[in-house]
Amino acid sequence: MWQGNRVLTEQSAYSNRWRRVTPFAKGWFSLCGMVAAFAAASPRSALLVALILCAVTILGAGVPPLRYLRVAAPAFLFLLASGLSLALSLDFGGTAGGASLHLATAELPRLAQICCRSLACLTALLFLTLTTPLADIISLMRRCRVPDTLLDLMTLCYRTLFVLSETVHDTITAQSARLGYAGLRLSLRSLGGLVANLTVHVWQRSQALHLAALARNNDGALSFLETVYPHSPRTISIAAVAGCLMIALSVKLP
Amino acid sequence: MTDVLLKLEQVSYRYPDGTNALSGCSLVIRQGKRTVVLGANGAGKTTMFLHLNGILRPSAGQVFYGGVPLDYSRSGIRELRSRIGLVFQNPDSQLFSASVREDVSFGPMNLGLEKRIVGERVAAALHAVRMTECADKPVHNLSYGQKKRVCIAGVLAMQPGLIVLDEPMSGLDAAMQRELLAVLERLHADGMTVVIATHDLDFAYEWADDAIVLQKGKLLAQGTAAVLLQQTEVQAELGASPVIADIAASLALTGMAVRDKGYLPRSRRELLAAISAFHRQESDR
Repeated sequence: MWQGNRVLTEQSAYSNRWRRVTPFAKGWFSLCGMVAAFAAASPRSALLVALILCAVTILGAGVPPLRYLRVAAPAFLFLLASGLSLALSLDFGGTAGGASLHLATAELPRLAQICCRSLACLTALLFLTLTTPLADIISLMRRCRVPDTLLDLMTLCYRTLFVLSETVHDTITAQSARLGYAGLRLSLRSLGGLVANLTVHVWQRSQALHLAALARNNDGALSFLETVYPHSPRTISIAAVAGCLMIALSVKLP
Repeated sequence: MTDVLLKLEQVSYRYPDGTNALSGCSLVIRQGKRTVVLGANGAGKTTMFLHLNGILRPSAGQVFYGGVPLDYSRSGIRELRSRIGLVFQNPDSQLFSASVREDVSFGPMNLGLEKRIVGERVAAALHAVRMTECADKPVHNLSYGQKKRVCIAGVLAMQPGLIVLDEPMSGLDAAMQRELLAVLERLHADGMTVVIATHDLDFAYEWADDAIVLQKGKLLAQGTAAVLLQQTEVQAELGASPVIADIAASLALTGMAVRDKGYLPRSRRELLAAISAFHRQESDR
């Protein structure tokens, strides 16, 4: 599931209609979406913000609806589970001695507000991740003066994710080929082997990356040439106006 | 020899785990030549390469660049690594960034160049390895051969005078090998010194000017590749011999003159041409 999601996010980020739009404009609009989510006066207005962001991602950037749903599904489910766990409570102190389920009726309006806000924030983040490759997001964060160490870690983690997921895949295939997952006991054993193998692999990989960095004259922070997007005051203005309108709408709507 | 670019003199290196990877190894790399480094696994090829651009420092002995001992100060190392590019065997172990263009810019950015110049160098390096159209692709979406070419571009963007490649052909199919070879040939034609570690004796015999053969951390033999690879001692150490050399030598024994100006053919094409020429001469008689 996780790996599939990651690939889907990648595909969208690199193939959507707004791939070449400056990340500054997309980042600004996404930020406005989150501000609107928190500024929303009611669950209804937060829900409207979520709908707007979702529509902009699907209709504006041209992300296929089905792909959007598949990427969003785990997060939506997580939100649903969190909402349910807040709304329902188990009571073991009942007169019959058994457990009973209670609905926290008094808290429902507040709960609705939290869930709708979370949903809006989620769609704002989805808008950014599905329209902007991570390399661009990192370069945007660099311009926003996010500390270099954090960005270096993000760059390496992102790159390493792909390398390691390939290793995991290859190891599992090799283990399965020798009946490594043919039963519960064997599966647990193979899983242990996989984790141990991966630990050594990570260590060796970090050594190799360190050598490669030295060979290319690195002596500290990882610096790359950032992709230059055509400076487009028009795009940034549109994003700014649209974002501010969204905030205003969420505040004004009863 | 005045054209010596790099020289190792009695270099020894012991890894922290006690392995003696190099012990009293002496060799030279000549400017503007195509050099192959041969040797069994564990002969010390990679360790030797790591000494060439100062990543490892000899436990004993010295490395000379242009006749001058390597300067291991911060600025000296910086200078050296901008002149000697090292391409490792596994591309996934040396690509850092998410996008191709960014990754190629890593070296020149480390040199502290202006962004405009870095941009120009990146474009030129990507063009040299014919990867311009992949510049904005994420690295993980490339094929193995393309990743190798990006690694080479990353080193070329630093504009070194010498490029060292550790087993660049491993894992590549025949078509990719040809493409990579074409890239290396262009670099060499532009005046770059190219050093390659390989296990492929046929490739070494056909391609290289010079050969260096390592054996258990020492130099076994060094010299002209075409001559060296026909020596029994070298062939015994490497456990093989170039097929073209064997065939040509056998044909020569049967009286078929496949020697051209005293040299045996080094490639399949040269051998076939020599055989055809011989038959033409025979039929003309």
